[in-house]
Amino acid sequence: MLNIVVCIKQVPMVTELPWDEKSATLRRDLAAGMMNPACKHAVEAALQMKEKHGAVVTVLTMGPPVAEEVLREALAMGVDGGLLISDRLLAGSDTYATSFILAEAVRKACPQFDLILCGAYTSDSETAQVGPQMAEELNLPAAAYAENLEINGRTLRVRRLVDNFRETLEMEFPALVTVSMEKYSPRYASFRGLEEAFSDRDIFVFNAQDLGITPENLAGHGSRTKVRKVFIRKAQKQNVMITGAAASAAGEFLDRYQGMISAAIGKSIESKKKAVE
Amino acid sequence: MQFNPCLKHKLIRATTRNFAETQLAPIAAEIDQNRIFPHDAINKMKELNYFGLQAPKQYGGAALDSISAAIVVEEISRVCAAVGLCVTVHNGVAVYPLLQFASEAQKEKYLPKLASGSVIGAFSLTEANAGSDAGSVEMTAVKNGKDFVLNGTKIFVTNGGVCDVALIFALTSLPEKNLQSSVFIVESQLPGFLRGELEDLCGMRANPVSSLFLEDCRVPEDNLLGRLGDGMKIGLATLDNGRIGVAAQALGIAQGAMEAAVKYAKERQQFKKPIASQQTIQNYIADMATEIMAARLLLYRACELKDSGAAFGCEASMSKLYCSSVASRVTGLAVQIHGGYGYSKEYDVERYFRDAKVTEIYEGTSEIQRMVIARAILSQPIM
Repeated sequence: MLNIVVCIKQVPMVTELPWDEKSATLRRDLAAGMMNPACKHAVEAALQMKEKHGAVVTVLTMGPPVAEEVLREALAMGVDGGLLISDRLLAGSDTYATSFILAEAVRKACPQFDLILCGAYTSDSETAQVGPQMAEELNLPAAAYAENLEINGRTLRVRRLVDNFRETLEMEFPALVTVSMEKYSPRYASFRGLEEAFSDRDIFVFNAQDLGITPENLAGHGSRTKVRKVFIRKAQKQNVMITGAAASAAGEFLDRYQGMISAAIGKSIESKKKAVE
Repeated sequence: MQFNPCLKHKLIRATTRNFAETQLAPIAAEIDQNRIFPHDAINKMKELNYFGLQAPKQYGGAALDSISAAIVVEEISRVCAAVGLCVTVHNGVAVYPLLQFASEAQKEKYLPKLASGSVIGAFSLTEANAGSDAGSVEMTAVKNGKDFVLNGTKIFVTNGGVCDVALIFALTSLPEKNLQSSVFIVESQLPGFLRGELEDLCGMRANPVSSLFLEDCRVPEDNLLGRLGDGMKIGLATLDNGRIGVAAQALGIAQGAMEAAVKYAKERQQFKKPIASQQTIQNYIADMATEIMAARLLLYRACELKDSGAAFGCEASMSKLYCSSVASRVTGLAVQIHGGYGYSKEYDVERYFRDAKVTEIYEGTSEIQRMVIARAILSQPIM
């Protein structure tokens, strides 16, 4: 039976991310959490493989104690076990530190894994780095942005869309794949599943010590990212009146906006402007 | 005493919200406008246990606690109150009285189908001359062999157009007693069970509310719920529970309306600044948020009381009275904040405003709730 580990992350459930501009961190306390959408697709991919080939699926997350919520949701969707890595020592980890910690957790808790799945990117920081970096830590073959997965014996066939090309890759287990949101539209958890995820199931919690992570060995794998500044991009609608005769107004309009219009429609409208003049 | 939501309640809210936002938000305005019962969305909800929220697992339900069930109704109603109504009536006043009063044989026969949603339930007390005055029911049930023969008309039956089973209140004659009401589990495919046209209502328009006509409808005596003459007892207990559901629904409508108003107030520019920067608008928002928070705590208090096994009728009435009046006020303010746009179908608050009103009317009007509450308070011994 296949042994699949899915790495998931809790992200804020908001359309505007509440960045604290002073500390350059997300104000996670301001918004309810949810499972990162791409991670949910990865869970769905694992569940479909479980249904087709038979598998034991374990979800793994690192975060504050409330991150347990996304593990319970995955249990309600149908995965078999949940692991939470939670420790103040690990707070504020960047992607480099996070991938090291997740890799250590996989080595300790799921050494027999065949496949690790991750969401291709997260809705809060969008680096898309943790999955590939984890593959490096564990020295695994990896593919990012997968839209379809097929298993044939010990071979995994991955179809992915990159730069408008669709390519198909094959790799042997054990492997790591990050899943995009093209396919594997996630199922909704049923209320029965949710009830049982809390009443009948256990989450296993690891701290840094359990994983053998100390301030010393973390120093070599610690966060290398320094966030210098965070700012919120402002979008503001504006009403603009162009007055005058139609021909000159049209000319002025094109003078001001032809660049933006060309960019939006993907081709130059330079010649159209000449025709108007 | 615990005022913070636990992880389970947070996750149930997030899961329901996700479903409502993705499956109901895109259709809510259209099904309201054209009075469409959304069968596709309802079928998805059946698979996710929306129709067996609190039914025990042995019958295929999700066995949720009452706060969880209230959160589900709240979150559905935050997006589409008419679907919230379908869910809360089915769970709160069809499944619940069967759990409380049905025989084992009746539970075995009906609960698995109701909990899976393959059978949709309705509760039918109201008649042309009997509403708040539940004792004035004119529907009759006359014993004939092994059947009761039912005759009469029920009106304003929520889920009436789609229900497969209705709990019907009818007058029965008891030996040595006056006429008393009893409750019958009536299957819609029985001969003599007829539905009226769908009502053209102010709000909750996607719910198929209709009349039910029973014409010499023969109901097997095995389908008597509880004992003969138990009608008033079953009715009052069921309404206590139903009021928690209507309170949750009203709260969800208020929450949805407030969120829409806050979003609009931040976007809408007048006098070269967002109207949210005007103190009057801020006062409206402060009042809305405060009342919604108070309403929510009152409702969850009633839920907790119910799950503890204590009497919860008075608290259910308080929740229903308060949540529904908050819904009316908040939706009114939400329309006001939207100005002229709020009065148009272009914005959802117009629908919320129409949907909110009936929460002050059905499952016992606000006036009846005050009567129930006052009775409970006045019957307490003086300290």
